[in-house]
Amino acid sequence: MNDPWAARLVETVLRCYPARWRRRHGEEAAELAALLIRDGTPAVSVAWSYLAGAARERLTPRPGRRLTAVACALLVAACSLGISADLLASAAPARAASTSQPRGPAHCRPGSPGLVPGVPPAIGRPRVIIWEGPHGQPC
Amino acid sequence: MAVSRQNSRAGQDVLRRVGEASVLILISLADGPKHGYALIQDIKELADVELGPGTLYGALDRLERLGLIDPLPAEDRRHPYRITAPGADALRVHLDSLERVSAAGRLRLQLGGI
Repeated sequence: MNDPWAARLVETVLRCYPARWRRRHGEEAAELAALLIRDGTPAVSVAWSYLAGAARERLTPRPGRRLTAVACALLVAACSLGISADLLASAAPARAASTSQPRGPAHCRPGSPGLVPGVPPAIGRPRVIIWEGPHGQPC
Repeated sequence: MAVSRQNSRAGQDVLRRVGEASVLILISLADGPKHGYALIQDIKELADVELGPGTLYGALDRLERLGLIDPLPAEDRRHPYRITAPGADALRVHLDSLERVSAAGRLRLQLGGI
């Protein structure tokens, strides 16, 4: 390719193909582009054709790729379910606390949480607070 | 998913869904092996269709996966391809089908007097 701009353009677009494709067709594709541009085909048109080809190559499902996609989808679904369950679990006590009246003796009602003596506060982990009334039992 | 020779002989038109580029490539390879640039030049001359290089490689990969063409050892940086026996059978079945459709179309145009 005499025009360095055209050569760079084609080279850049060829990088959009998967590595497997480039190993197989990369050199020949660059040479073919050079020949087509020499024959008068606009470099942009050649680059556009390769770009569309690269998109097709990446979007076309293949047996191995389909299996990977299914595995990824399952993993994402499992993660989403885990996160949703975690959110629900953490939201349920908060909802319960906001909608129900505090029951039990006054000293058992939340308001001034105190740490259980002898239990050091966790660093980098959620703090576990155990309400303990003056009766010595968790409320 | 390679096409067996028996399948294409049974009259199943496997080329119906592969697209025009693939059919043109098979027609071009029918008279002997060719590499990418020669295919583009031949198809331009044969059918007045300018095949983009991206389309060409996509179609070549598809035809190879189907077992309709085979890559030959590389000459310099060029990889020639040749049509396989199932590829030739599939092309024959497809061309027969096109001929039938073409004949029916011409007949209907005659009958319609258009």
